[in-house]
Amino acid sequence: MSQDQLDILKRALEREKAARKAAEKILEEKSRELFLTSQKLELLLEEKSSQLQGIFENIVDAYVVMDLEGKVLKLNEAATKLFGYDISKESLNVQNLIYKDDYDYAMNSFHQLKTNGFFKDYEARVYTKSKEVKWVHINASVVFDKKKRPIAAQGIVRDITDQKASEEKLIESENRLAALILNLDSGIVLEDENRNIVLTNKKFCNLFNINAQPDDLIGIDCTSASEQNKMLFKDPEAFIERMKAIDKDKQLVIGDELEMLDGKILERNYMPITIGEKSKGFLWTFTDVTLKRTYRKSLETQKQKYYGIIANMHLGLVEVNNDDEILMINQSFSEMSGYTQDEVLGKKAGLLFPIEGGSDIISEENKKRQQGQSNSYELKVKTKQGHIRYWLISGAPNYDLNGEVVGSIGIHLDITDLKTLEYQKEKLLLELEKSNNELQEYAHIVSHDLKSPLRSIDALINWIKEDNKGKLDDVSLQNFNHIERTLEKMELLISDILDYSSIGAMNDEKTNVDIAVLVDDLIKILYVPEHVSISVSNKLPSLKGDKVKLQQLFQNLISNAIKFIDKPEGIITIDVTSKSDCYEFSISDNGIGIEKQFYDKIFKIFHALNKSKDSTGIGLSIVKKIVNQHEGNIWLESELGKGTTFYFTLKK
Amino acid sequence: MSSLMSNVLKVLLIEDDTIEVMKLNRVIKSLNLKHQIVEANNGEDALDILKKKEVLPDIILLDLNMPKINGIEFLGILKSDETLRYIPTIILTTSNNQKDLLECYKIGVAGYVLKPLKYEDYVKKIEKIFAYWSINELIKA
Repeated sequence: MSQDQLDILKRALEREKAARKAAEKILEEKSRELFLTSQKLELLLEEKSSQLQGIFENIVDAYVVMDLEGKVLKLNEAATKLFGYDISKESLNVQNLIYKDDYDYAMNSFHQLKTNGFFKDYEARVYTKSKEVKWVHINASVVFDKKKRPIAAQGIVRDITDQKASEEKLIESENRLAALILNLDSGIVLEDENRNIVLTNKKFCNLFNINAQPDDLIGIDCTSASEQNKMLFKDPEAFIERMKAIDKDKQLVIGDELEMLDGKILERNYMPITIGEKSKGFLWTFTDVTLKRTYRKSLETQKQKYYGIIANMHLGLVEVNNDDEILMINQSFSEMSGYTQDEVLGKKAGLLFPIEGGSDIISEENKKRQQGQSNSYELKVKTKQGHIRYWLISGAPNYDLNGEVVGSIGIHLDITDLKTLEYQKEKLLLELEKSNNELQEYAHIVSHDLKSPLRSIDALINWIKEDNKGKLDDVSLQNFNHIERTLEKMELLISDILDYSSIGAMNDEKTNVDIAVLVDDLIKILYVPEHVSISVSNKLPSLKGDKVKLQQLFQNLISNAIKFIDKPEGIITIDVTSKSDCYEFSISDNGIGIEKQFYDKIFKIFHALNKSKDSTGIGLSIVKKIVNQHEGNIWLESELGKGTTFYFTLKK
Repeated sequence: MSSLMSNVLKVLLIEDDTIEVMKLNRVIKSLNLKHQIVEANNGEDALDILKKKEVLPDIILLDLNMPKINGIEFLGILKSDETLRYIPTIILTTSNNQKDLLECYKIGVAGYVLKPLKYEDYVKKIEKIFAYWSINELIKA
């Protein structure tokens, strides 16, 4: 190797040395520079980290850091407050926080976190330490190390419990409102500016016979829809015209009535809905008022009917209030009283018409109305013209809608004519009674006056016979006897007539009469010939009646039976059978009998069939009269030559 | 006065019918009775007689049917008089009117006798009346 070469090599080495020195110097400078920069950066990073730390720890929302197994590494103050755990004292895994029903959702979200590195808007319930359930909103992301390996996860947790509760309430009330609209008994259509349906309900579909769900109609154009619907109405064009007019005006319309072909009547309302200045659409409502209308109509008809009755009836009608002031009278009452309605309105009815204490009657009656009682009463009144009339008033309380008595209504019938007749009748009855009594007295006096001469004649004949004893021939004596017989008959006749006329005067009180005792006594008193026997088959009853007259009844019938017996052995049988409301007596004999043609005749006065000295033809008339007075009947069965049975009933 | 002897009665007969008066007198006579009959044709006459009160009758026989004051009215007047009310009064009448009978007993009578139709019955009744009253002790004025 040459020097040169060596020198060259040496010089080269020298240059290299110098270059390396320079480079080392630059490197040194650079590395110093770098060191300074990294020093600066570290400071900066530290600064930023602590800055962030401060932000996380001080943010309002809860901040949670956990490892990938869910173990909680860090909770900020808000999170500690929210969950109630202090992780410096106890360890906590987020799984313990998950609400049981939200577990699957939580696991999904966790999986998403691992896969995608984050999840957003997780909303679920959590348990706090005190087992309180809270709604939370979480955004979470994974934390990576320098080598991009996931090492932890962090999340921002917001307590949305209150927000959730009010949301639920809102949804609830929205649901309620929707259900309400859907099921409303009125058909509803809400349309927008372009007449497209925004909202409608079932009732609307029903009313317009639309076979679809309300939701299906949303967006449909009402203008064209109504062209189809118009055929449902009696006057389709008018329906369309009116609708267009309303739509044009865009003003509130209430109470339009639409008549449909099927007889339904709809009430239509139109209402622009504006909230603030902003139009929210236009609301049409349709309500079926058919029932209401027909009800009103029939009510109107009824009202007309009763109004007609009231106006035209021949009974006076007066309505008064609780103070007895007249509110209304009808035409008939106006005619009855002589006053026009204007003359009596507001006047007190109880003071205007009655006379002779009638006002008191009316105030008594008004008290009854207040108690809800109805009844009728008579009143003597004076009309406007001063005529005295009698009214029969049927009064009833008048109620208002709440059932309170607000007055009364009286129906008035003029019974003056009836009353007059009644008074006449009473007067006549009194007169009749008086003249009956007079007649009775008269009968007694007449019978006395008639009998007196008979007694005198009898006395005189006796005296002639006494004074001329032995001087009179047989024929004369015989004739005197005839006179005496005639006198006796005459007296009997007078007695019977008196008896007959006395029966009419039924003055005696009815008492309990024992017929058994009565008949027994009679048989003892009566003259019964030896060949006649009287028997009583059954126990005779007791009944209410006039003892004297019942005695006469039995006496006459038994005497009759005895009188007409022509057989050598006379049999008289008295019997009785009990009927539902009367006793049926029978008195039978085996006497001469009566021909059928005379059955009725024998009960008539002075119709004696057999002229005899002791028969006047009045006896059976008296019997019939007594039976009739005891509300009974008398009849007979008879066979000529065999006997007769008289039947009669007496009321129990 | 012996109790065995029958009294001779002083009788006031109030009767408007002449034949009736004759009948009573004839009975007295034919039965041979001693009773003294004072006749009054009507109630007024009778009251005149009674008011003198010189000699009052022992009994009165009174007809009911009379003009002016009738029997019952007369009876009422008699019974309201302090003295006369004690005189036994027997009604002698044709009236079998129950009303009259009750009224008479109500006012106060000593008997109520019906005049029979037959004279012979009349004689028997009058005989009994006198027989009865003649054995009675009477208030003598």
